[in-house]
Amino acid sequence: MSELQPLSQPQQTAEPLLNVQEMQFWLDKAVAWGQADSPDTQKDTCLHLNRLRDFLQQLLAHINNMSSTAETMKKLPLLGQFLGRLCWNPYVTAGDTCRRLLLQCLWGLYSEHPSNAVERKANQWIRKVLCQLATEEDDGVAQALMKHMGVPAKEYHVNVLKKMVSLLQENIGKSCCSLSDINRRCSCDSILATSDACVPLITCPEASPLIGALLQQPVTCVKEALSEHFLDALSSAYSSWNLSLEEQAVVSLWYHSLPSLEEAVLSLLESVTNTASTPQMLHQQVAQSLLPKACAQHCSMFLVANDIYRSVLKQAEGNESVRSLIQTFTRCFLRELALLQPQTSVSLKAFFPQSPQSLLVPLLTLPSEMPQESWRNHLNWLSGSLQRLTEEEEEGNGDSRSTRGHYKVFETWFLLVQCAHWVQAAVQLLVTSEPEDCGPLLWLLTFYHHPTNRWHHRALQLVRAREAWEHLRSVFLVSARPPIDRLQSLVTPLSSQPQQPSPAPLLTLSLLVNFAVFCQRPLSVSTEVLQMVVHHSGLVDEAACVLSSLELRLSEGSCLSNDRVHLRIKELHKTITHTH
Amino acid sequence: MEAVLKNLSSTVELLAVAANSGAANSGAVEQWDKHTMSRAFDWARYCEHVHSRFHNNPAIRRVMEQQLELTNRSLQDVIPGYTEVSFSDLPRLQHLLLIGLLNNPELPISLIKMLFDTRSPLDNMQSEYQDVTGLCSHIIRCKAACKVLSPLTDLSAAGAEVQGRMLMERLGALLSRGSDTRPAEHFLGCVLQGCQGAGRQFCLVITAALLTTKNSAAQTAPREFLLDWLQNKHSVLQSLCSALPATLLIDLAKEHNKFRDAYCDVLKKWASDMEYCISEGEWVQTSTNPTVSFHKLTEKFMALFEACPSLRANTEKELKALKISDGDFDVKGLSVWGDLLSALNM
Repeated sequence: MSELQPLSQPQQTAEPLLNVQEMQFWLDKAVAWGQADSPDTQKDTCLHLNRLRDFLQQLLAHINNMSSTAETMKKLPLLGQFLGRLCWNPYVTAGDTCRRLLLQCLWGLYSEHPSNAVERKANQWIRKVLCQLATEEDDGVAQALMKHMGVPAKEYHVNVLKKMVSLLQENIGKSCCSLSDINRRCSCDSILATSDACVPLITCPEASPLIGALLQQPVTCVKEALSEHFLDALSSAYSSWNLSLEEQAVVSLWYHSLPSLEEAVLSLLESVTNTASTPQMLHQQVAQSLLPKACAQHCSMFLVANDIYRSVLKQAEGNESVRSLIQTFTRCFLRELALLQPQTSVSLKAFFPQSPQSLLVPLLTLPSEMPQESWRNHLNWLSGSLQRLTEEEEEGNGDSRSTRGHYKVFETWFLLVQCAHWVQAAVQLLVTSEPEDCGPLLWLLTFYHHPTNRWHHRALQLVRAREAWEHLRSVFLVSARPPIDRLQSLVTPLSSQPQQPSPAPLLTLSLLVNFAVFCQRPLSVSTEVLQMVVHHSGLVDEAACVLSSLELRLSEGSCLSNDRVHLRIKELHKTITHTH
Repeated sequence: MEAVLKNLSSTVELLAVAANSGAANSGAVEQWDKHTMSRAFDWARYCEHVHSRFHNNPAIRRVMEQQLELTNRSLQDVIPGYTEVSFSDLPRLQHLLLIGLLNNPELPISLIKMLFDTRSPLDNMQSEYQDVTGLCSHIIRCKAACKVLSPLTDLSAAGAEVQGRMLMERLGALLSRGSDTRPAEHFLGCVLQGCQGAGRQFCLVITAALLTTKNSAAQTAPREFLLDWLQNKHSVLQSLCSALPATLLIDLAKEHNKFRDAYCDVLKKWASDMEYCISEGEWVQTSTNPTVSFHKLTEKFMALFEACPSLRANTEKELKALKISDGDFDVKGLSVWGDLLSALNM
């Protein structure tokens, strides 16, 4: 009962929500369900559970809006009957949500201070129903046995339920369609029936072994063994955190139900882009999402996930958190794949069908899997190949309306995004590069941030990037103490509203950070420069992020752990974050 | 020990307060809050522990029974219609408390809400026993889930298995108390009565009890006891043999030699009760409730011999001896034993 009435009582609360016809419809349903116990009735109940839940929600709102039980009963005289019938329907009371709503409706009808006979009677009835529900046993024999054996009812019912679950699990294990024995009747029907019956039990923890078994039984039959209804219910329960499943069960769920996989990928994207997470947290989030593991087991899932990433990227190209996610995801995926198939050389083509095949292995190999001395050659080769590929496509399709070329450029660029560890390696090498060998590295870096000429002005940005690099070189490697104005010219392109088209702030920023870390100048100089520039351009968080991911990359790989570098990174990180 | 007895007594009094409304009650349930109720359940659980610790110790058990008797008597004086709490009720004390509370119209609605609270399933896994919140919700959920699954798998069979297991545990506990088998017999008698005679459910329970294959060392004593009891209770044995499906009986015979022999005896008894009906040209049972036809009887014998080949030779000898005592004729219709032997190809 709502004791506090809003001052402006909204007139439209009750009436449009509930009409007598709807009430009658549901009451008729409740009566029908209670009378028969046939498979059809059971199916009907399960199919209507979602709608019933919504209706109960409306009913609850309606009850809470009324000022007293007497008024409620006057407006909806069939309510008591309806709720009473539902209480005795196991399909309704087995599921947590429906049961909760049902009970809340009952609480709504209970009056703390009953003022008339109707309310007193309602109170009594509610208490009686609840008492019966919890303590009455239909099986007189079982009740007598419980008494003589000194077994409490709860323990008994839990054990019976567990027994039934394990019997059903055994059945599922036995009834696998074997293609070799055609004469044996396909038992997929019984599995289908079981999955249908489990729909109300999805939130029941004692039933989860059964649900896990259903999800994981091998798919040997042509027919779809698990009911769609079951998969949908599972998927929505899992995504709203109402359910805990074992890892392999989750993977199976995604495998059986494409919408649930898509939901999982989208929710990962959302959680990553909404909350500002450090690279370490991002890595953890991705690993914990079980998606990389699932994708390693099923190629089709990897393809679906990447398609989603592609479309998100196309809409939000500059979004660095999405790109980091894609990189982290791919890295976790590769690790899971290696764990899964250590012996066999996996056909990467199956997992990356649209990417340029010649670049697959070179890009997917991690820098840490290669001696650092060979990075430069490798990167030069990569850069050259990428350059050739993109420029060929762009020139080859002089016709501005042709999109095929750009499709290839996009796929090439997408693969690079997935393997952005090489971009990071390039930035690191740029610190120690001479003007004559910085070209390919700069091209690669620019391409990562500005893939096309037409829309991203890659050629122009390459020039600007080179300027920035030269500038940084002069600051970090040449002068004794950087004069302020030289630093200012670094700040301008980094700040949020650059006057002229300048490279993506992250491009310049990552160069800056890498210079600060890897240059030979004393730490104090680096710190001062970095702090000053970052502070004035307002990119503290981004700089901290670059530092963290650098730290992560260096500590993950089997790179020679260079204490000096780690110390520098730590100090720089501390300085810029603490003095902010 | 004194403290334990005092606690026992106080908890029983608490139970009485919980179950009874009215002016005779000070500290009435009306005043209870979440904390009080939770503590009441804690005390009930304490008594359950006490029972499980001391029920095998006859001396302590006697002392406790005496204490309970005292408490019961004093409560009976104060509360009209008071139901006694005996020592054997102790393992279910939390449940009795729950029943008392829910039947008490003075229990505050907030406490009922607490009992029926539906928590998120992830919470349920962590605090199973210690928390009273959602206790009733859990019970309802389990009962409902059993009903939902019952079209797919036999609910009564699962129930019988659980009951069978519990029966064995209880028998084991009773038998480990000492050499006196009377409590165990009394228990089985109560169970039989509670099942309203040797009906189908009782038979299923006994069968399940005998077929539980858990750690056999602990189960030997109760199993032997149960088999002996079964052999002595002819009517029960007969009901068992007629009510249960043949496959279950064969399983039992395979597991337990005693049962195998007893079953064979029942079959022979059925045969001996048969008379030859000329109009039908077949042997029929003469008892008021004929349970088996001659043909079926033959099938049962055959199934039994197939499962327990060692039985065949001895039974053949017996049947032959019986045939001889009937005159040793090879004509159909004169001796049920002769016809049985020829039907069994012996």
